[in-house]
Amino acid sequence: MIGQLALALALLLAVYSIGANLYGVTRSRPDLIASARHALWAMFAMVTVGIAALWTGLLTSDFSLEYVASYSSTTLPTAYKITALWGGQQGSLLFWTWLLSIFTAIVAFQNRRRNPGIAQWALIVMAGVACFFLSMLNFVTRPFEILATIPANGTDLNPLLQNYWMAIHPPSLYTGYVSATVPFAFGAAALITGRLDDSWIRTTRRWAIFSWFFLTLGNLFGARWAYEVLGWGGYWAWDPVENAAFMPWLVMTAYLHSVMIQERKDMLKVWNLVLIGMVFGLTLFGTFITRSGVISSVHSFTQSGLGPYFLGFLITVAVLYTTLLLSRLGRLRSTAQFESYLSREAAFLFNNLMLVGIAFAVFWGTLFPVLSEAVRGVKITVGPPFFNRVNAPLALALIFLMGVGPLIAWRRASASNLVRAFASPAIIGVIVGIAAFTLGMRQWYALSAFSLAAFVIATVVSEFRRGVAARGHMVDERPARALVNLVAKNNRRYGGYVIHVGVVLAFVGIVGSSFFKAEVKQSVKPGESFSIGPYTLTYIGVDGSETAHLETERARVEVSRDGRQIATLAPARLFYKAAQQPATEVAIRSTPSSDLYVVLAGVDNLTGLVTFQVFLTPLVFWIWAGGVVMALGTVMAMWPNVREREAIATALSGAAESIGSESARGSAAT
Amino acid sequence: MRSRLRFIIGVGLIIGAIGYLITTAIRSTSEYYLTASEVSARQANLMGQTLRIAGRVRPGTIQWDPATLTLAFGLMALPPGDDSPAFKAVTTTSGPTPALFEVISKGEPRPDMLTDNRDVVVEGRLGVGNLIEANQVMTKCPSKYVPEKTN
Repeated sequence: MIGQLALALALLLAVYSIGANLYGVTRSRPDLIASARHALWAMFAMVTVGIAALWTGLLTSDFSLEYVASYSSTTLPTAYKITALWGGQQGSLLFWTWLLSIFTAIVAFQNRRRNPGIAQWALIVMAGVACFFLSMLNFVTRPFEILATIPANGTDLNPLLQNYWMAIHPPSLYTGYVSATVPFAFGAAALITGRLDDSWIRTTRRWAIFSWFFLTLGNLFGARWAYEVLGWGGYWAWDPVENAAFMPWLVMTAYLHSVMIQERKDMLKVWNLVLIGMVFGLTLFGTFITRSGVISSVHSFTQSGLGPYFLGFLITVAVLYTTLLLSRLGRLRSTAQFESYLSREAAFLFNNLMLVGIAFAVFWGTLFPVLSEAVRGVKITVGPPFFNRVNAPLALALIFLMGVGPLIAWRRASASNLVRAFASPAIIGVIVGIAAFTLGMRQWYALSAFSLAAFVIATVVSEFRRGVAARGHMVDERPARALVNLVAKNNRRYGGYVIHVGVVLAFVGIVGSSFFKAEVKQSVKPGESFSIGPYTLTYIGVDGSETAHLETERARVEVSRDGRQIATLAPARLFYKAAQQPATEVAIRSTPSSDLYVVLAGVDNLTGLVTFQVFLTPLVFWIWAGGVVMALGTVMAMWPNVREREAIATALSGAAESIGSESARGSAAT
Repeated sequence: MRSRLRFIIGVGLIIGAIGYLITTAIRSTSEYYLTASEVSARQANLMGQTLRIAGRVRPGTIQWDPATLTLAFGLMALPPGDDSPAFKAVTTTSGPTPALFEVISKGEPRPDMLTDNRDVVVEGRLGVGNLIEANQVMTKCPSKYVPEKTN
């Protein structure tokens, strides 16, 4: 009751803030602008009341609420009662709206004095988006529906979601999705106000990295969840739901790179506005395809009436934004030009083409069943083979550019620049390729992938060495001290390099696990053995246990290598009582060289046979390790930089002074 | 101006190459996605092709041999009104209809959720005698994401 009322008030506040900001910014009424800001803070407070009410319902097992009865149960562990908030549609929309209200409140706070004129328009855009979500929550899919008859127990959270990774995957992804609204709103505000310099990019640079950080984590957590929970030995299936999370990441990555070209060379202005519009559109599109049932997915969440609303909103936003962009096209012409293919600008441009190309291929493959049905009347699907085939060569090109981009000279690289920068990394890459070949690797793709990975890592190492050496010369520091200072003074740049290393590690993990995976499926009786790769697995027996929440059948498997026992694994089959659903618990022995992944695929009580499905997946460890490195690099790049903050402060006071001095000059002239 | 043109050509070539990659990959990897009744109606044309077929498990037909990892079951049509190849979240209970196809899967573990009357998508090759040799049998959990209204 309180919850739904708070959401209604939040909607009114959002509408009011739009009106107040519009009036305030067009009629220069600072009092109204301040009032709009306060309204947005109040909106945040109201949505918080709403989410607190739903959380309270979940924690107290208040089954009079339809949502609680549908996604929780009395026996559900407390931690999952909390995460059940985003286990269903209404809850996840509410969570989304809450994040949006938090970010809107922060943007309103950050821009009390900064970016006058633009910030109000950005807040109008953000409040407009909030209005859409709040309307959904108030009129279409209400989280606080009351049940006429109160059930004794709830039907429980989906067992697949009762997992650590699933607890943190949706919040990360949503944080990434929703925070992308901030750079989009400022981009739109720049278009509306016609202040088309790069200030909208600089103001939201950290927001964009923040969004990218959480999109990265969200994708990785999702992959990790699929790996540990779904029990099929893989981590990525090119399912529409996964693609929906992957596409915004790709385009945001392109955006983060191409804005550097605008900041430095004043080029690609239209392109950057297009990219950030695409990112925002893709976040809505992702929600649309996973909620509408237009595209079938093996783990799609709901088919609900929400689809048409999202599509309508998406089309409205796209039309408005495109019209706005077209009307400003004349003022977005760049004076600078690309001079040579052998330049950093060109490398960044091609990197953008690859990233957007991959995103388009993923988009096309995801929508292909719908398109083919519309055009030819037959549903034709494309599966993982399509995505792998298209994206594999594009990914190689992208990794290559990742090595080239940061080191090649701006404008036009000379022959000596190319030799100095790339000779030794290229040699290292070739050596690694030859070494892999002599060790027996014959797949040309894997060979070129590992070779390019070594090339990129060598370029990064050489950049660090060059930087340290330069500092050593200039300020006479010891190498360790010089390294710390180098990174601290240029954290955006060196954080970026660390992210590149993380991406390369993850890429090595993806290539290794895709090309060299082994699989054995076997039914055995107690005491029997079978082998995979260098390992011998002996099945000892199976034990049953039971709690109020679930039944468990757990097998014991001894793993030995070269006659020595090295581990005991315990894969299990679970049965969730409230949901009446089986699930599997995989046992994984992970090492940097390979993962031994054991699934208890079946227990046959009639014959005493137990079926195991075992995977030996090389290098998959490096996907997660690469993810950790990427996260560290992103934190480095986001870290508040003293020098930068001083620069902004002087720029602001400089602006204030110049306004002062201009008026002084003006008065002197008259 | 000359360098601008050179760049437009370069970018155009890359976009063309990506487009070419996409079209050839679609041609060589796409599969028809049909319902069991649609396949039944066009059986002669589809013989020997790899397809994705949506249908429902006929009750009482599941046979599973854990020793050889062989699974067999009868696939019947989805009830009328339910005949879009999209997964249905909630399995409605209507009477069984005759099996249109016999599905055989070898060397794969039995899917956890495979039970009578469950909606499945079978990926496999259509052979003679209404036989489908499955590479993959996918089941949809009876999701409670859309709780059935019980009023």
